[in-house]
Amino acid sequence: MPDRDGRELAAFALASRAGSERQALAKIAEAVSDSGLSSRQLERLKTAAAEAMMNAIEHGNHARSELPVEVTVVETEGAVVVSISDRGADTGVTQEPVEPDLDQKLAGLQTPRGWGLFLIRHMVDEVDEVREGERHTVRLTVRPGGTEQASGSQG
Amino acid sequence: MNTTFGVAVRAIPGGVVLELEGDIDGTAGPGLVAAYQKAVVDTSPQRVLLDFTAADYINSSGIALIVSVLAQARSEHREVLASGLSDHYREIFEITRLADFIELHSNRDEAVNRIAESSGRPRQQS
Repeated sequence: MPDRDGRELAAFALASRAGSERQALAKIAEAVSDSGLSSRQLERLKTAAAEAMMNAIEHGNHARSELPVEVTVVETEGAVVVSISDRGADTGVTQEPVEPDLDQKLAGLQTPRGWGLFLIRHMVDEVDEVREGERHTVRLTVRPGGTEQASGSQG
Repeated sequence: MNTTFGVAVRAIPGGVVLELEGDIDGTAGPGLVAAYQKAVVDTSPQRVLLDFTAADYINSSGIALIVSVLAQARSEHREVLASGLSDHYREIFEITRLADFIELHSNRDEAVNRIAESSGRPRQQS
């Protein structure tokens, strides 16, 4: 787990409504522009962050627009950490209910949906989550100059 | 920022192209399904090309839509191809294994020519 004591690059809150994830992406991309991420790492981080935002909006805050999704971007030594917090203590990203299996989906044995958590885990170097009371936070870690081969490891 | 989904259906020798534009997310569902149905009814294509050249963004809901279209096409014995994916979305097609079932081409002309050749039609001038 990365050291969370680092330089804060951005901190903002967005309403829990569709489209907020795209606003977050723009802000995150701007915040990490000088953090040494490759373009590939940036695109992967944006995809993971968008999916985590959508989970926070839909499953954490149940699309109640009055509930904010809070985002912080912190640069530590050797890592960029994006934290996305909602009020849904009962949600989680590190335990996928059903691992998506394309063969099963094409055979009609799984719903076509269910790719969000899969993408989050495959797009960044590390995913972990923290629950503090009703606050639920997902942290996405990317290491600039790393192997760029996200292992989907979980903290 | 968000760009509205749009899709145009164009018949080509040996198949049909669905030209996708804007955001491929949950809101794209009705439009994409309607376009696929129109293509099937109008031309009964053997091959369907999903052209992502003008697509800006694909999220997990968009991936689910593509899975749905692929499942329907396969059930109808139609081949699905894709063109114009960025390197990032090509990687997502590989990670999700969509690339195992959808033939990927770097650009539309290449895919259109492949479809024409497969159907014994003359190549399109690029």
